[in-house]
Amino acid sequence: MKNTIKVERAKKNWTQADLAEKIGVSRQAVNSIETGKFVPSTVLSLKMAKMFGTPVEEIFQLEKED
Amino acid sequence: MKKINTSNGSKVFFTLILWAVTFIICLLVVKEMSPNKTVGLILSFLPTITFAIFIYNFIKGVSSMDEVEVRIQLEATAIAFALALLMIMTLGLLDSVVILKKEDWSYRHLIPYFFTFYFAGLFFSRRKYQ
Repeated sequence: MKNTIKVERAKKNWTQADLAEKIGVSRQAVNSIETGKFVPSTVLSLKMAKMFGTPVEEIFQLEKED
Repeated sequence: MKKINTSNGSKVFFTLILWAVTFIICLLVVKEMSPNKTVGLILSFLPTITFAIFIYNFIKGVSSMDEVEVRIQLEATAIAFALALLMIMTLGLLDSVVILKKEDWSYRHLIPYFFTFYFAGLFFSRRKYQ
Protein backbone atom coordinates (compact mmCIF):
# COMPACT_ATOMS: atom_id res chain seq x y z
CA MET A 1 0.00 0.00 0.00
CA LYS A 2 1.27 3.48 -0.83
CA ASN A 3 0.40 6.77 0.80
CA THR A 4 0.70 10.51 0.34
CA ILE A 5 1.23 11.41 3.99
CA LYS A 6 4.45 13.29 3.27
CA VAL A 7 2.72 15.39 0.64
CA GLU A 8 -0.23 16.10 2.92
CA ARG A 9 2.12 17.05 5.75
CA ALA A 10 4.00 19.39 3.44
CA LYS A 11 0.72 21.08 2.46
CA LYS A 12 0.05 21.82 6.11
CA ASN A 13 3.70 22.48 6.89
CA TRP A 14 3.63 19.85 9.62
CA THR A 15 6.57 17.80 10.81
CA GLN A 16 6.15 14.11 11.61
CA ALA A 17 6.16 15.07 15.28
CA ASP A 18 3.35 17.60 14.70
CA LEU A 19 1.19 15.02 12.97
CA ALA A 20 2.03 12.43 15.61
CA GLU A 21 0.87 14.73 18.38
CA LYS A 22 -2.38 15.56 16.57
CA ILE A 23 -3.37 11.93 16.08
CA GLY A 24 -2.01 10.67 19.42
CA VAL A 25 0.83 8.40 18.34
CA SER A 26 4.62 8.53 18.50
CA ARG A 27 6.75 10.19 15.82
CA GLN A 28 8.23 6.78 15.08
CA ALA A 29 4.74 5.47 14.34
CA VAL A 30 4.14 8.25 11.82
CA ASN A 31 7.53 7.53 10.23
CA SER A 32 6.77 3.80 9.97
CA ILE A 33 3.44 4.48 8.30
CA GLU A 34 4.78 7.16 6.00
CA THR A 35 7.65 4.96 4.77
CA GLY A 36 5.27 2.08 4.15
CA LYS A 37 6.77 -0.18 6.81
CA PHE A 38 3.54 -0.34 8.79
CA VAL A 39 -0.08 -0.41 7.66
CA PRO A 40 -2.17 1.68 10.07
CA SER A 41 -5.48 0.58 11.52
CA THR A 42 -8.73 1.94 10.10
CA VAL A 43 -9.16 4.23 13.09
CA LEU A 44 -5.70 5.73 12.71
CA SER A 45 -6.15 6.15 8.95
CA LEU A 46 -9.43 7.95 9.49
CA LYS A 47 -7.87 10.18 12.16
CA MET A 48 -5.11 11.13 9.71
CA ALA A 49 -7.62 11.84 6.98
CA LYS A 50 -9.66 14.00 9.33
CA MET A 51 -6.55 15.96 10.36
CA PHE A 52 -5.56 16.53 6.75
CA GLY A 53 -9.12 17.30 5.68
CA THR A 54 -8.68 14.81 2.85
CA PRO A 55 -10.63 11.61 2.07
CA VAL A 56 -8.81 8.54 3.34
CA GLU A 57 -8.76 6.99 -0.17
CA GLU A 58 -6.69 9.93 -1.36
CA ILE A 59 -4.09 9.37 1.35
CA PHE A 60 -3.85 5.56 1.15
CA GLN A 61 -3.96 3.62 -2.12
CA LEU A 62 -3.68 -0.06 -2.84
CA GLU A 63 -0.83 -1.18 -5.05
CA LYS A 64 -1.06 -3.86 -7.76
CA GLU A 65 0.40 -6.57 -5.53
CA ASP A 66 -2.15 -5.78 -2.81
CA MET B 1 -4.46 5.67 20.08
CA LYS B 2 -1.96 6.62 22.76
CA LYS B 3 1.67 7.67 22.64
CA ILE B 4 4.33 5.76 24.56
CA ASN B 5 3.74 6.67 28.19
CA THR B 6 6.98 7.38 30.05
CA SER B 7 5.41 6.97 33.49
CA ASN B 8 4.29 3.47 32.48
CA GLY B 9 7.84 2.80 31.34
CA SER B 10 9.19 3.90 34.72
CA LYS B 11 6.70 1.66 36.52
CA VAL B 12 7.71 -1.32 34.41
CA PHE B 13 11.41 -0.64 35.05
CA PHE B 14 10.86 -0.20 38.79
CA THR B 15 8.83 -3.41 39.15
CA LEU B 16 11.42 -5.28 37.08
CA ILE B 17 14.16 -4.13 39.47
CA LEU B 18 11.95 -5.03 42.42
CA TRP B 19 11.48 -8.55 41.07
CA ALA B 20 15.21 -8.93 40.31
CA VAL B 21 16.16 -7.79 43.83
CA THR B 22 13.55 -10.09 45.43
CA PHE B 23 14.78 -13.00 43.36
CA ILE B 24 18.45 -12.40 44.18
CA ILE B 25 17.76 -12.02 47.90
CA CYS B 26 15.66 -15.19 48.00
CA LEU B 27 18.31 -17.05 46.00
CA LEU B 28 21.11 -15.93 48.33
CA VAL B 29 19.12 -16.84 51.46
CA VAL B 30 18.20 -20.26 50.08
CA LYS B 31 21.75 -21.01 48.92
CA GLU B 32 23.82 -19.53 51.74
CA MET B 33 21.64 -19.87 54.83
CA SER B 34 20.13 -23.31 54.15
CA PRO B 35 16.73 -22.56 55.69
CA ASN B 36 14.31 -25.30 56.68
CA LYS B 37 12.01 -26.77 54.03
CA THR B 38 9.00 -24.57 54.85
CA VAL B 39 10.98 -21.34 54.72
CA GLY B 40 12.76 -22.59 51.60
CA LEU B 41 9.45 -23.22 49.86
CA ILE B 42 8.11 -19.78 50.84
CA LEU B 43 11.29 -18.13 49.54
CA SER B 44 11.05 -20.13 46.31
CA PHE B 45 7.58 -18.74 45.62
CA LEU B 46 8.09 -15.21 46.94
CA PRO B 47 9.58 -13.86 43.67
CA THR B 48 6.41 -15.05 41.94
CA ILE B 49 4.53 -12.20 43.61
CA THR B 50 6.93 -9.48 42.48
CA PHE B 51 7.16 -11.08 39.04
CA ALA B 52 3.37 -11.03 38.73
CA ILE B 53 3.41 -7.31 39.62
CA PHE B 54 6.09 -6.73 36.98
CA ILE B 55 4.21 -8.62 34.28
CA TYR B 56 0.96 -6.82 35.14
CA ASN B 57 2.67 -3.46 34.72
CA PHE B 58 4.41 -4.64 31.54
CA ILE B 59 1.13 -5.69 29.94
CA LYS B 60 -0.55 -2.48 31.11
CA GLY B 61 2.36 -0.54 29.64
CA VAL B 62 2.11 -2.31 26.29
CA SER B 63 -1.65 -1.72 26.11
CA SER B 64 -1.04 2.03 26.53
CA MET B 65 1.34 2.14 23.55
CA ASP B 66 0.48 3.13 20.00
CA GLU B 67 -0.22 0.41 17.45
CA VAL B 68 3.29 0.39 15.97
CA GLU B 69 4.89 -0.10 19.36
CA VAL B 70 2.34 -2.80 20.23
CA ARG B 71 3.26 -4.64 17.03
CA ILE B 72 6.98 -4.29 17.87
CA GLN B 73 6.39 -5.69 21.39
CA LEU B 74 4.29 -8.55 20.02
CA GLU B 75 6.94 -9.54 17.51
CA ALA B 76 9.71 -9.21 20.10
CA THR B 77 7.79 -11.49 22.47
CA ALA B 78 7.13 -14.00 19.68
CA ILE B 79 10.82 -14.09 18.75
CA ALA B 80 11.83 -14.44 22.42
CA PHE B 81 9.33 -17.27 22.94
CA ALA B 82 10.59 -19.11 19.87
CA LEU B 83 14.24 -18.76 20.88
CA ALA B 84 13.47 -19.81 24.46
CA LEU B 85 11.63 -22.88 23.22
CA LEU B 86 14.52 -23.71 20.91
CA MET B 87 16.99 -23.43 23.77
CA ILE B 88 14.92 -25.58 26.17
CA MET B 89 14.39 -28.20 23.47
CA THR B 90 18.09 -28.33 22.64
CA LEU B 91 19.14 -28.49 26.29
CA GLY B 92 16.57 -31.18 26.91
CA LEU B 93 18.07 -33.33 24.21
CA LEU B 94 21.65 -32.49 25.16
CA ASP B 95 20.89 -33.52 28.71
CA SER B 96 20.31 -37.06 27.48
CA VAL B 97 23.60 -37.14 25.59
CA VAL B 98 26.06 -35.29 27.81
CA ILE B 99 25.97 -34.40 31.49
CA LEU B 100 25.26 -30.68 31.75
CA LYS B 101 26.89 -29.16 34.81
CA LYS B 102 24.22 -28.02 37.23
CA GLU B 103 26.44 -25.07 38.24
CA ASP B 104 26.19 -23.77 34.67
CA TRP B 105 22.84 -25.06 33.40
CA SER B 106 20.36 -25.10 36.27
CA TYR B 107 16.93 -23.55 35.68
CA ARG B 108 17.91 -20.19 37.16
CA HIS B 109 20.90 -19.91 34.81
CA LEU B 110 18.48 -19.79 31.90
CA ILE B 111 16.77 -16.60 33.10
CA PRO B 112 19.32 -14.16 31.62
CA TYR B 113 19.00 -15.96 28.28
CA PHE B 114 15.23 -15.36 28.20
CA PHE B 115 15.70 -11.64 28.78
CA THR B 116 18.45 -11.57 26.16
CA PHE B 117 16.10 -13.23 23.66
CA TYR B 118 13.44 -10.60 24.36
CA PHE B 119 15.88 -7.72 23.81
CA ALA B 120 17.22 -9.41 20.67
CA GLY B 121 13.64 -9.69 19.42
CA LEU B 122 13.03 -6.06 20.30
CA PHE B 123 16.15 -5.00 18.39
CA PHE B 124 15.18 -6.85 15.19
CA SER B 125 11.54 -5.86 15.40
CA ARG B 126 12.34 -2.17 15.94
CA ARG B 127 14.70 -2.22 12.96
CA LYS B 128 11.90 -3.57 10.80
CA TYR B 129 9.56 -0.67 11.52
CA GLN B 130 11.96 2.22 11.95
